[in-house]
Amino acid sequence: MMRQVSNKVGGLRNLIFIGVLLVLILILLSDIYLVDQILEPLEYFYLFFAAVAIFYGIYPLYANRRLTKYYWQRIKKHRLSVIGLAFITFLIVVALIGPIFTQDPTKVNFAEKNVPPVGFTVQQFVYDLQAEEFVVQEIPGTWQHPLGTDDKGRDMLAMLVSGARVSLQVGLLAVLIAVFIGTIMGVVSAYFGGVADMVLMRFTDIMMTFPFFLLLVFIIFIFGPSLVFIILVIGLTSWTGTARLVRSEALSLRTREFIMASKSLGASDTRIVFRHLIPNVISVVIVIATLSIPGVIVAEAALSFIGLGDPTVTSWGVVLNAGQRSLDTAWWVAVEPGIILFLTVLAFNFLGDGIRDAFDPRSQL
Amino acid sequence: MNNNILEIKHLKTYFFTSRGVVKAVDGVGFSLRKGQNLCLVGESGCGKTTIALSILRLIDSPPGKIIGGEVWYHGEDLLHSSGKRLRQIRGNQIAMIFQDPQSSLNPVFTVGDQVAEQIKLHLGLKRKQAMERASYLMEQVGIPRARERMKDYPHQFSGGMKQRVMIAAALSCNPEILIADEPTTALDTTIKAQILDIFRDLKQNRDMSILFITHDLGTVASIADRIIVMYGGRIAEAGTAFDIFDQPQHPYTQGLIACLPDISAQRDRLTPIPGMIPSLINPPVGCIFNPRCERRLPICSKEIPPEVFISGEHLVVCHLYSPLASPQDRREGINNVD
Repeated sequence: MMRQVSNKVGGLRNLIFIGVLLVLILILLSDIYLVDQILEPLEYFYLFFAAVAIFYGIYPLYANRRLTKYYWQRIKKHRLSVIGLAFITFLIVVALIGPIFTQDPTKVNFAEKNVPPVGFTVQQFVYDLQAEEFVVQEIPGTWQHPLGTDDKGRDMLAMLVSGARVSLQVGLLAVLIAVFIGTIMGVVSAYFGGVADMVLMRFTDIMMTFPFFLLLVFIIFIFGPSLVFIILVIGLTSWTGTARLVRSEALSLRTREFIMASKSLGASDTRIVFRHLIPNVISVVIVIATLSIPGVIVAEAALSFIGLGDPTVTSWGVVLNAGQRSLDTAWWVAVEPGIILFLTVLAFNFLGDGIRDAFDPRSQL
Repeated sequence: MNNNILEIKHLKTYFFTSRGVVKAVDGVGFSLRKGQNLCLVGESGCGKTTIALSILRLIDSPPGKIIGGEVWYHGEDLLHSSGKRLRQIRGNQIAMIFQDPQSSLNPVFTVGDQVAEQIKLHLGLKRKQAMERASYLMEQVGIPRARERMKDYPHQFSGGMKQRVMIAAALSCNPEILIADEPTTALDTTIKAQILDIFRDLKQNRDMSILFITHDLGTVASIADRIIVMYGGRIAEAGTAFDIFDQPQHPYTQGLIACLPDISAQRDRLTPIPGMIPSLINPPVGCIFNPRCERRLPICSKEIPPEVFISGEHLVVCHLYSPLASPQDRREGINNVD
């Protein structure tokens, strides 16, 4: 019985994964309908992300160590992508454990406002209570605030570390949702063809023209701004490109003889989709995913910048927005998040390029 | 009914394309006996592969569609079986091997995984046992060091080795019928001989029924119990290897045999059959071979010839032997050889 079901979805691994998803949905339902709050909304995303990463990222890499080694060797030849990977790894570590060591990014302290980064000194007009006049005061950067403070005295380092967490959350989770939907849409549409293809692709077209910004404004208007909604909206609207690319890839795969061969040996449609088509398009999907993460990170920063972000979290966009207001007195408040955002986007792009070249058998590395 | 394990009657498979209806298989019927090696021969596009795919209902639809006919297997008409039943039969009772071993294997899984896949699917064995059986099968079809090579990916195998893997996968569940669609076409001559040996062995030692599809008459001569010569989606002539090679009666078969290179005869040029393969969208009226036939009778361009058994199991579909043509015409046509 169990064997039959697992054969149907193309292996035990898929079955366990579907089981994990069902458990998650069950917890979610009991969360909604029973009073107790079991998990935070974002924690569902983490668990989903972790499940996908373990079942379809870490396990296959471990199971095919030889192939992993081969791809690693090819990526290694692409120096920029290795640098990108190192930067992303650093960012992930910072986002995971950084907040433990830094100060509270929301702590306001007007006594220490507009402190420059270490090594810089700025002149400020300060109202001297005793002299009852404005005096010019030299404010040096201190190790207390290595990257300085903003106009409310909040620690820049703490805010950037917190922003890294937000950006990676949005980037990884939203892209994961988008890629998950896009892959299934694309493969199903290509494999079944005909009416299914028509319906799914027209739906994709409609989604492509749908202004996601409007949807976001609408949702924020109804439910209030929240990071979960931002992730959901970006994820649920940006799968269209993936769906199209995966479809075109799967269209050429489905005419390959091994699909017919496994059909002639008694494989079911679901099995062919999960076991033969998806593993073959996964390299394309990984490349699309890596290359679309920076776009999503920038989208979130842009939303925060114009004030549509989650006000309870400090993202890079929020800091940028604050910096733009005090650009004349404290340039570092805008410049620092800008540089980090720039480097992050660049790192993901380099990594994406490296992975693409490594997965493309035609490129001579 | 007797020992026919597969009976095909009046099979018609058409492809509905934008340029018209391609009658790829137009009313073909034959039967396959237990332990028989039946060869379908004919040039490209005569419907050989379409027949094979129709038996397992693997025709891509659209554009293809099985218009009519019956495919009887153990008292069951496969053309009316449910999808679930068909999946049980495919691979388990009727297995198929394809022409191009280069693309018949999934590039992202190891070879052993792919052979074991069917075993797990149909026989319900656990992974370890399935891998065990897969390595045994791969050894059987002549893959050296099968146990180690199972962990390799398809690109690490040569064409002949890949075809062996495909045969191992097809044999994994001990099917009753093996359909081989030009299994040797993409291979070079020495490998081809080895693969043919495997087929011979299968028939002799496992009593397997084989439907062998090829356009290579040399291959056919060495392994076939019965040969069906096809032309333009229809049967032209059928009989034993002796009937077809030594006493061909249909003008098309005679033409085919005539264009085989003969090592003993001193000839500078081969004798081709004049003309082109007919379009299957607008096939010639009457006998589909008549525009190219050197011994055409008046009736040939009017009526489709009936199937006539001229001796025992030697079947000829030609007006030269049909009761429809006038006796005088027939005599003239038959005597008109060269």
